[in-house]
Parts: sequence; C-alpha cells; structure tokens
Amino acid sequence: VLPTYIVVALTVGLAVVGLLYFGAASVAGSRWGRVALLVGVVALPLLLSAGTVSYGLRKSTETSFCLSCHEMQQYGTSLFADNRAALSAVHYQNRLIDRGSTCYSCHADYAMFGDIKAKLNGLRHVWVHYFAKPPDKIALYQPYPSANCLHCHDDARRFLEGPAHQPVLDIIYQGKVSCLDCHNLAHDLKAREAHKLWQAR
Amino acid sequence: MTGGRSEDAASPGQLPDPSTTAIKRATAVTALGLLVQLASSFYWTPITFVLAAALGLPLVGVGVVMFLRAVLRLMKNKGAF
Repeated sequence: VLPTYIVVALTVGLAVVGLLYFGAASVAGSRWGRVALLVGVVALPLLLSAGTVSYGLRKSTETSFCLSCHEMQQYGTSLFADNRAALSAVHYQNRLIDRGSTCYSCHADYAMFGDIKAKLNGLRHVWVHYFAKPPDKIALYQPYPSANCLHCHDDARRFLEGPAHQPVLDIIYQGKVSCLDCHNLAHDLKAREAHKLWQAR
Repeated sequence: MTGGRSEDAASPGQLPDPSTTAIKRATAVTALGLLVQLASSFYWTPITFVLAAALGLPLVGVGVVMFLRAVLRLMKNKGAF
C-alpha cells in the first residue's frame, strides 16, 4: 500500500472529478464553475498522477521493490554472503552504497539515459515475471560497464593508489579492461546454499 | 452551424448538450485514470506500478486532452477566436 497521504489525495481527486462529472452542465454556467472544472478535471488529476508516478518511480529504485519478485531473492540473500571477494556483499555490508537502493546503485547505468534504460529493462523484467518464463540462469543483457564502478570509484584514493590498479589505470579508463576481469564475483550465490552468511547485529 | 443552434437551445447558465457530453466524457476518462491509480495504490507491486504508469497516467492525459478540446470547440463556437 502506498502512503496514506497519496491514497487520500487520489480518493479526494477522484471524488472531485466524480462530482464534476455529475454537475458538469450546471457548474459550467458560472465563471467560478468553469475555474472549478479546469482545476478539477485538468490541474488536479495531472498533479495527482505526476505525484503518484514519481513516487512509484522512486519506490522502484528500492531494494525491497527489486526483491519483491522471487527470482531476485537469491540475489538479495547474496548481499549477506560471508565472502570479502563478493562485490555485492562487500558493498552492501560495508555500507559503500545505500542499503535502501542497493540493486539500483549498481544495476542502473549513470549519465543521461541510465535511468530510462533501467526502467525499460525493468518493464521487460515485469513482463517476463508475470507473462513469460524467467530463464533458469539470470544474466545481464550486456557486459557490465566499468563506467558504473568508476562513477563512485573514479577519484577514490583507495582505487587510485591501489597497487594492483596503478599499472592498469589507463586501460581501465579507456575501457580496454573491465573491472570485472579481476573482480569477477558479483554475487556469491553459493554462500546462500552453504549458509555462509553474515548477519548484522 | 450545429454548435450555434444547440447553444441557442440550451437554458441560461447551462452548457449546450454536445459540449456537456464531451466534457462529461472527458471527465469520465480522467476519473477512470485516477481510479486505476487509486486501485494500484492499495496493492503496490511491480505490475500495479506499471498499470498505474502505463494505463492510469495516459488515461488521465487523454481525459485532459479531450476536456481541453471540448472547451476549445465551445469557445470557437461562441466566437472567442
């Protein structure tokens, strides 16, 4: 359920539009009536729809939203993998990313169209979840872009001064080498099966 | 002109029938869009979010466009342009 204020606002908006439906003929006779029609049938519904959809878009970036599909739950559990080499686990457990939007932090491209692309992919996921058969092995649509890692790590001291990074910094920035060539365990799904999970206090 | 005739036939302080029908139709479509969004808000899942965004929002948009078209047509008939 969405927050009460959104539900109440939508209910009020619907009631106003309903009243205007039944009283359209008489209301439109006066100047203030016409203003009421303009506000009630144009401004209010547009405002409410924009609010609802923008709230929905924000909610769709939350970890709980992604994990609401059972196909993703194993990836959610992998955030607790007791494995320092597992990227998602390290980022989540050490709070290197916002825990509330963990999936979105790494799986949405940045720059101008990153969000739009993520939403279109999300639509595809919804379609597959509800109307098709999800693949047995879930994989990315394309190789993971290092730009997403560099969005945060780019000018981070630990990244720049890391002895393993220094010799390859140039080719990382040129895109000739992917971060995942070395850091190749994104989600430790086996830790889940082996019950090797870290539990925060 | 048809619009002019029906306008003459309407009682004072009321819209002529074709305009009322168009506005009522626009209001109904807008209400339907809001209803879809309201129904989705009670059970917020990925599919209901898609429904609210891909069905509720466009319905509201279509309703608004229909309303504005009806108003513009009415103003044109009244000689506002």
